[in-house]
Amino acid sequence: MTLSLEIAPRVARVSGKGQRWAEARTGGLLALPAALYFLLFWLVPFVSAVYLSFTSYDLAGTPEWTGLANYRRMLADPGFWNSAKVTAVYTVASVVPSIVFGLALAVPLSKPGRYNAFLRALIMIPAAMPLVASSMTWSVIFADQGLANTLIGLAGAEPKPWLTDEGLALWALVIMTTWKHLGLFVIILTAGLQGLPPAVFEAAALDGAGPLRIFYRITLPLLRRTLLFVLVIAVVGAMQSFVPAFLLTKGGPAGATEVLPLYLWATGFTFERMGYASAIAMVLLVAMLALSLAQFRVLRGGDDE
Amino acid sequence: MKAVLTLVVAVLLLPVYAMVAVSSASDANDLGGLSFDLSQLGAHLAQLFGQGGFPLYLRNSLVLALGVAVLEVILSGAAGYALAQLRFPGSRALFTVIVGTLSLSPIVVLVPMYLVVKALGWIDTFQGMIVPFMMSAFGVFLVRQFALALPRELLLSARVDGASELRIFVRIGLPLLRPALLTLFLLQFLAQWDNLLWPLIVANDPGLWPLPVGLSQLQTEYDFSIGLVSTAALITAVPPLALMFLLQRYYVAGLTLGGLRK
Amino acid sequence: MTRLSRRALLRTAALATASGLLAACGSDPVAAVPADGVPRGKLSVWLHQTKAYDKVFNPLLHSYVQEFGGVDVTPLYVPVDKLDAKLLTAFAGDVPPDLFKIGGWTVPGHARKGRLAPIMPEAMGVADEKALVQTYDEHAIGSLSYNGQLYGVPIDYTICYLYYRRDRFLEAGLDPDKPPATWEEVAEYSKRLTSADGKKVGLQWILGNPQWTLMQLLALVKGKGGAILSPDAGKATLATDPGVEALRYYGGLGNPKLSNPLSGFGLFATGEAAMLVSGLFAMDLFPTLNPKLTFGKVFDIAPMPRWEAGPPVAPAYTWGWAVAEKSRLQYTAWHFIDYLQREDVAATQLKDASLLTPVKGWEKLPGADQKAIEIMADSAPHADFGPQTPVWNEMAKALTDAADAVAFGKKTPEQAAADFDQAMRIAL
Repeated sequence: MTLSLEIAPRVARVSGKGQRWAEARTGGLLALPAALYFLLFWLVPFVSAVYLSFTSYDLAGTPEWTGLANYRRMLADPGFWNSAKVTAVYTVASVVPSIVFGLALAVPLSKPGRYNAFLRALIMIPAAMPLVASSMTWSVIFADQGLANTLIGLAGAEPKPWLTDEGLALWALVIMTTWKHLGLFVIILTAGLQGLPPAVFEAAALDGAGPLRIFYRITLPLLRRTLLFVLVIAVVGAMQSFVPAFLLTKGGPAGATEVLPLYLWATGFTFERMGYASAIAMVLLVAMLALSLAQFRVLRGGDDE
Repeated sequence: MKAVLTLVVAVLLLPVYAMVAVSSASDANDLGGLSFDLSQLGAHLAQLFGQGGFPLYLRNSLVLALGVAVLEVILSGAAGYALAQLRFPGSRALFTVIVGTLSLSPIVVLVPMYLVVKALGWIDTFQGMIVPFMMSAFGVFLVRQFALALPRELLLSARVDGASELRIFVRIGLPLLRPALLTLFLLQFLAQWDNLLWPLIVANDPGLWPLPVGLSQLQTEYDFSIGLVSTAALITAVPPLALMFLLQRYYVAGLTLGGLRK
Repeated sequence: MTRLSRRALLRTAALATASGLLAACGSDPVAAVPADGVPRGKLSVWLHQTKAYDKVFNPLLHSYVQEFGGVDVTPLYVPVDKLDAKLLTAFAGDVPPDLFKIGGWTVPGHARKGRLAPIMPEAMGVADEKALVQTYDEHAIGSLSYNGQLYGVPIDYTICYLYYRRDRFLEAGLDPDKPPATWEEVAEYSKRLTSADGKKVGLQWILGNPQWTLMQLLALVKGKGGAILSPDAGKATLATDPGVEALRYYGGLGNPKLSNPLSGFGLFATGEAAMLVSGLFAMDLFPTLNPKLTFGKVFDIAPMPRWEAGPPVAPAYTWGWAVAEKSRLQYTAWHFIDYLQREDVAATQLKDASLLTPVKGWEKLPGADQKAIEIMADSAPHADFGPQTPVWNEMAKALTDAADAVAFGKKTPEQAAADFDQAMRIAL
């Protein structure tokens, strides 16, 4: 694939009514299952969640219309604000290192060579490890005499209570999720890097540009679309992240890892306040959409709609 | 550079090693060691495979994960390609819904989704476990991003030659999208292989339980062996790892879109 | 999506909720007693499993099906921490199992939502509810009623004990035959049992767990003459002297940063914690966590401590068997439950699984360790099941937030107590 293809404006199509009709027919056919599926399994549940967010619904009987009560309650609910804060910190704390480390590893690993291919294969192994099944192992890794403390002990640090220290527990979760997702990000970024046109780099090298300058001035801008994809996936994944906290800390210690989806789970499925849980989900949704839009804006390539 | 990279990768693999070590642990006092005792691991394996349900759970997991992965590739592949390359009525609306879905917390649709599955009469069936996950916003999004980069001259010349749009999709689009589709296959397989909550809620018949649900029986609040649970996790990891190495050639090389450079 | 008209949106919403509504109406349950009194039908049972209980339950199930040929029973074992979520979705979808095991503390919440069927004396070989109650420990069965209506029969009843490590007591120069009897002594012993680096402690609370937090604090607050909720369960009353003092005491013991994959239970098994509050089931648990833990030699039990100047308080809980209001086989379900609750079964269950069914005269059931049963029998008159409220889960979570905040030094006891009362004002 060449650069011109990637960012060139659409090549003029075969035009005419016949072509438009053919595209509409085939497009409709190919997208029909998706349309039905998303309507039935996501749009209907979504619309009902929007509706429920304006009601009091305790998973029994009929939802009772309460207007904005759930949203007002959210403003006064310290549990919600704590969770919102935890989620914000968790998102930044897990997305930034994932992408920075991901890029730092992808740039050297994208170079051709047997050994690099071998390392790329190994780096994907964590992504294949089932998280739910292996959560027990992680709580052992973070236990007092566990692997995490053995490792920092090698560096001369004192053992730390990873999962029971309010300042550390969130970082323990960040470590676990970064471990799990890094490989995938590296592979996607490697893919993007290898798709870049070598000619541009050769020209820059001839002009005497240093590797750092090449990275900032050429690699990063050209990698925009791949970066956008990884960023959107990473941010959405972090903001919806539920499993690590659910399995490892249950939101503790003292609420330090009570991410918003976990709070939402407790509100809906433990306290049985599905209306309020739906309202929280709406706020989370709006926040995520806003962030996704901002990312599209900032990083959008000329060719992306 | 090589040494640094090797070290980083080694550190990333340490937790996997820890899993093996813990699998051979015998009791709560024996957690930190990185040594292992093969006989303990053997004992745990024997205990697991001795349990009646294990082969059944394995089969169910394969049905579930393969079912979802295959459907996902076909359906999300088609939709992603259509959204990227074809103009059809409603495409904008569909894409908006899909991007919105990407941001919708699955927890909050759990109950409505359950009601839909119940209305379809699918409680306690494989389709009840498979169909609600047979597509994903992520999958359509992924394929669309890749399909946007398909070489337009190729599609265009096919059109000029008078090939039908469907034929272009099957003969040109699909082969070129293979890397993305295989990646999607792998990721969805992994996701379903690791899915605990939905099968637990939808399947009341233990004969339908996949591995995570079946194995969660080993781990009740006060009654389990860490070594045994970790051994179960270890075994659970084998099929996805095998699949990953099997598809290696396609997604590592393939994701580079190298095939498109020709 | 912007093109969708508002009316279309509303219609879809209405459709979606209608499916919920339909679920709520459903078909009428069949509560009738069959003329011949013979149970029939296919029962579904949901319960959480422990290996030990499985050994008791399975043979029973088979013998029941053999005796009553018209009945088929399908049991489903659900991990204890997932049972509630699974039950909830099933209730919301109107497809609950016929009978299930639930925590007594959740009975008010479910009962208020009309999910539970009242007990059916005819199916249980007694004339009326009163007669049934008389065959059980009155406190235990009393905790399974709501608004004067009984919704279940108790199984797996326990009162809190003080577990302690004899080896740690010896090491610290304390007499292992004289465990602390008061909270003041617990504090004093804890001081002597705590190592300089804080890695080994005396009493360690089970932190972050709503059910245990409630029981631990209940003993402290009630013993000081206070209460977590007002007697009518209408408002929270933790921000009072007893509540604040209890929280202060709670925050002063143990080391919240000690960690173990099995929380307090694991710390006790490793010996990092020398004392722990726990129930009868832990008698069997500890030896499986650490084979070195022999009862009477390495670890031991004592009655729940009390304040020097206060009354004895014995926090307790019980699980119960309940039947779904929507079940079409209520008669059969209660009949089967009755079969599970026989005295000889209770004895085997106690011996093999350390699970106590509080049938009348449970104090004399053979099988369990004598000491454990004696302590429980002595404590039984003070058994306290904690506040009964339909919002139990929210209360216990808010209480855990408060207690953890104090334990981790994030809030003062006064602040935490006030925050708890505030949170409950929203919930109640």
